Amino acid sequence: MLRKSLVSLLAASTLMMAADKLNGAGATFPAPLYYDWAYTYEKTTGTKVNYQSIGSGGGIKQVKSRIVDFGASDEPLQSDVLKKDKLMQFPAAIGSIVVVYNIPGIKDNEIKLKNEIVGDIFLGKITKWNDPKIKADNPNVNLPDKEITVVHRSDGSGTTFNFTYYLSEVNKEWKEKVGTGKAVDWPVGLGGKGNEGVTNYVKQTPFSIGYVEQAYKRQNNLSGATVTTASGKWVEATEDNAKASAKYAKWSKDGDFYQILALQPGDNSYPIVAGTFILLPEEKADMNKDVVKFFDNSFKNGDKSAIELGYIPLPEETKNLIRSYWKDKGIY
Amino acid sequence: MKEHRILINKIILTLSTLAAILGLGFLIWILFVLVKNGLGAMNLNIFMYDGAPPGVAESGLRHAMVGQLMLAVGATVIGVPIGILAGTYLSEFGQNSKLANFIRDISDIMMSAPSIVIGTFVYAIMVAPMGYFNGYAGIVALAIMMIPIVLRTTDDMLSLVPNTLREAAIALGAPKYKMITQVVYRSAKVGIFTGILLSFARIAGETAPLLFTSFNNNFFNLNFNEPIGSLTVTMFSYATSPYEDWQKLGWAAAFILAMFILGLNIVSRFFINRKRK
Repeated sequence: MLRKSLVSLLAASTLMMAADKLNGAGATFPAPLYYDWAYTYEKTTGTKVNYQSIGSGGGIKQVKSRIVDFGASDEPLQSDVLKKDKLMQFPAAIGSIVVVYNIPGIKDNEIKLKNEIVGDIFLGKITKWNDPKIKADNPNVNLPDKEITVVHRSDGSGTTFNFTYYLSEVNKEWKEKVGTGKAVDWPVGLGGKGNEGVTNYVKQTPFSIGYVEQAYKRQNNLSGATVTTASGKWVEATEDNAKASAKYAKWSKDGDFYQILALQPGDNSYPIVAGTFILLPEEKADMNKDVVKFFDNSFKNGDKSAIELGYIPLPEETKNLIRSYWKDKGIY
Repeated sequence: MKEHRILINKIILTLSTLAAILGLGFLIWILFVLVKNGLGAMNLNIFMYDGAPPGVAESGLRHAMVGQLMLAVGATVIGVPIGILAGTYLSEFGQNSKLANFIRDISDIMMSAPSIVIGTFVYAIMVAPMGYFNGYAGIVALAIMMIPIVLRTTDDMLSLVPNTLREAAIALGAPKYKMITQVVYRSAKVGIFTGILLSFARIAGETAPLLFTSFNNNFFNLNFNEPIGSLTVTMFSYATSPYEDWQKLGWAAAFILAMFILGLNIVSRFFINRKRK
């Protein structure tokens, strides 16, 4: 009896000690989502989770030097890197990247591009919209005899990392000549800063092609190309198709959820999806508990707003796997 | 020969007038776009509510406006006394000594140092040792930017005070500190005040020194020991978001900031002109 009350007293005191202010920094892509989750969380619990988008690289650096309570990155870190810096990692949401184009008179999803063809266009091998290779898959579309303007990111970005990873997987020449990275040596095209920069260039430049996060495509009414699944079936960049992809992801606690989601199996799996990750400093157990409480609450109540903002919530099984990861680490 | 010179004169005059019109044109263009987009985005909610996610109507910039003002005023409290004292040293004590000229040179270099470098410096000396982003680091970074401006204007304004005034004060038996505070300061006060206003306007619109010092805060916060929100950093993250209502708030933030700084500049011009009369 005494022990029990002591335990509850202890529990109460840690509850009182719980920080009502948390600071996080990192990836730009999930910032509006975390903002939204934090807004609701503050209204219901009073805890203020202040997340600022300073870029994935900045987020990793600030959590490494323990300046923020949690970091966020679009590029997952591998377990050995995490171990070296004494960090824990788990995904928080999923996003999809859309190949967008601006061809006057041609609507959303009207153009079909095989994954390999997307690579050829970004390589500069296919230079005109009415190239026979594009025409073959789009017999009923009136493709113009115009030069393709390629638009890419000028800054380092997690979006570029995931997009170039996808290109490397689907196009051998891309893998050999350019490869995967947050910033790569683009063979052709002009660079825009941030998703918003690429969005604006594509919007203003007729006959251009680019790649942006789903939310930017939707909010700006850009046209997105239909691409192919890992097995070669046509697939549109819809919420359901991205969700289908998320289901196949083989997350695992052992690798601290290191997983690049592109090209999942399945007939409806949209190929260019990516997770966005949270990094926690291992030694700050109390702080981590507070951070985990916030994400647990958001996993429970935040799916609806995630979809509204253009993100894909994690599947239930993944959330439970993350919860058991937290338990293993003693912070849940 | 004479006609030749007149011709050259006309060409140069036309070119320089065109250059002036070009510069002015861009300024008017910027202001026009800012007023057009900013004014349309203004509403009462902006002053009543703090930050909110896209799609929420009760969304405002109160947290950022208050934060920005706290940072700018905090920086003034640190930067202005140091700047004025240093300027006084240069003009009244150091004068043309080697040390004084060295300080003047350093201050000129500091004035043109990129603000992100100052931000990084303060991150290294304050944020990293303290272990968290905080408002104090933000005001120190802004104060460092402010000091050389206040120092230089104070130095210049004090050196404009005629030496005969100083001699008269000394001749009447006033000690040097009284001569400085009651005679020299008094005749230079409008100029010094203008310098303070201009330096305040200069730092009130800064983003880079704040990014890695006071960070930014999505919530209303009056505690200097925590991250503090600012209009400039908020403007950047809102303007680059995909959501229209956030982009509008970004324009509103830009408009508010521009009008505030424009107002400060006009007020200081007014003081300068009044002094000339």
